[in-house]
Amino acid sequence: MTLANPNIPESVRAVAADGTQLRYALMEMAGQMEDIITLGRGDPDLPTPPHIVDAANRALREGRTGLTPVAGLPQLRAAIAEHMGKYNGLSVGAENVMVTTGGQEGLFLAIQALIDPGDEILVPDPRYTSYDDAIRRAGGAMVMVPTNREDAFNLEAEAVEAAITPASKALLIVTPSNPTAGIVTEDRLRAIADVCIRHNLIVIVDEIYGRIVYEPWRHFSIGSLPGMAKRTITLDAFSKAYAMTGWRCGYAAAPENVIDAMSRIKQVTTGPVATVSQWAGLAAIEGPQDCVSDYLQIYSERRAVLLDGLDRMGFAYGEPRGGLFVWADSSSTGIHAAELSYLLLKEGRVLVFPGTAFGENWREYVRITLLEPIETLKEAVERMLPVLARYRA
Amino acid sequence: MRIPQTLSRPLARRVAALDDLRPPVRGEPNIPANVIEAAVAALARGETHYTDRPGIPEFRAWVADHLVQRYAVVVDPSEVTITCGSTEARFVTMTLLAEAGSAVLCPGDSSPIRGALHLVGADVVDTIRDDVSLLYLSPDVYRETSIELLQRAEERDWWIVYDLSFAKSAPPFHPAQNDKLASRVVTIDSLSANLPGWRLGWMAGSAAALRLRAGKQAITICTTAVSQWAGLEFLRSRAS
Repeated sequence: MTLANPNIPESVRAVAADGTQLRYALMEMAGQMEDIITLGRGDPDLPTPPHIVDAANRALREGRTGLTPVAGLPQLRAAIAEHMGKYNGLSVGAENVMVTTGGQEGLFLAIQALIDPGDEILVPDPRYTSYDDAIRRAGGAMVMVPTNREDAFNLEAEAVEAAITPASKALLIVTPSNPTAGIVTEDRLRAIADVCIRHNLIVIVDEIYGRIVYEPWRHFSIGSLPGMAKRTITLDAFSKAYAMTGWRCGYAAAPENVIDAMSRIKQVTTGPVATVSQWAGLAAIEGPQDCVSDYLQIYSERRAVLLDGLDRMGFAYGEPRGGLFVWADSSSTGIHAAELSYLLLKEGRVLVFPGTAFGENWREYVRITLLEPIETLKEAVERMLPVLARYRA
Repeated sequence: MRIPQTLSRPLARRVAALDDLRPPVRGEPNIPANVIEAAVAALARGETHYTDRPGIPEFRAWVADHLVQRYAVVVDPSEVTITCGSTEARFVTMTLLAEAGSAVLCPGDSSPIRGALHLVGADVVDTIRDDVSLLYLSPDVYRETSIELLQRAEERDWWIVYDLSFAKSAPPFHPAQNDKLASRVVTIDSLSANLPGWRLGWMAGSAAALRLRAGKQAITICTTAVSQWAGLEFLRSRAS
């Protein structure tokens, strides 16, 4: 399966091997077209809940906008520590927590603090390729750990152990996963924790979608297991659960010396997080949590509609157990995923991301978001169906 | 029981030489009422999602226009990226343009760039060496001193980072006024003196502009939306 269509523009073809840039090339192309349904970027379409915006407005009007310590407002760090105890089962204090400029910076700082040139970091495949740059800049090497659709992209301890070499230093887990929407279940995490302890691996776990998990599944934090606290860096953000992507506010929990190292790096990387965003984040975790469950219900209903559409399109999928995406097997079309995304955009006016944006080998998958209203998702399916009928091999 | 104090494995070696944490500078300048109202209005409009990766188009256009008006330096808005303070602009430019094992020539205060260069494995020097690949300049360096350095930069194809973010009153001099240098000059500036807690800066120009934009995206995706709208209002009202 190759990128066969000669009409694919050079702007897409040139970056086809770079997952992150491929996604942005498609977004830029979509941005120049009319009447596009965008099911690409993971930016919730729902608003930041009003009580959070109100808290930000109060901070603005009361002049609480000055620089904070680089690790964050002390009261926010303390509140995050309490929150992570309640929702993640972590036993952490404010000294184990720092505020980051979104979840992605948390990963960047953790990698810079932990990975030396030549260190290997185990990464489940497919992966969120925006993290590649952080690993590359630290001189680390990614070693892929396979996951598969039949297992709903759950991660197996045996697969992790098989990928370990003397150079292995850390395991990166994203659960729920971007892009697969799989979760790493508690039983698997317990077995993976045993492997990590035996091989003295650090675990960096991105739990940004941890509050978006569909029934009957449950999110579980590996850092809460015995023996894992001293080797786990847990990353999270307000962006997804509270629809706060534009505030750029995330957080990390880790042993105190890691938080100190990450903070010292952040001092030269971006400095403190915007103060108004920190007050908004404080309101998010101290305020009513109904908004999170309300949004989860909305996403759950959209997920059912999209899965029904994928059935009609002849796309298979592993059960999406969490997060804001469906990772769909498009092999029945016989078209390379990058080309399929291009055709769906050009002729169907629907933006979805090709699997190759999340790993070189995923030429038969596409990632579709749940981040449009139900009627729009239905319309997207109706737009994609004739394109598939036209080109299906 | 809380997380133990230390990780069970060593930190990356690069961490050891970084400076200790500095306390935040106390005192906040008075934020003009119109800036606060612009922020409130942005939130009311729902400006709470990711912005365009390089920043809101209006802000980028203002930066491009400012560079023309103030310095007669032409930069397309597509070559402007709004950053989380000048700190992020310096970090991205230093870590992407200075190669490991090379040297950055800094004839003035090098403290703003030492940390980033340490992380990338580059030296900072105050005299010309063969391994220099980048010249870091601020307006505090006298023009007379810079002329010789800029001639060397032209001869040796150095990158030039011109950092205006600490200048109280920047002179009209700008290295990108030299057409032969322009494609290798990145301009950095910020609102750190006026709106420090809002975390707003920018980097503009050069043939590396798209690479720098991607480098910023890999760290923070985009800059805080409400800060960008507030900063734009500040800049527009200051100009008028």
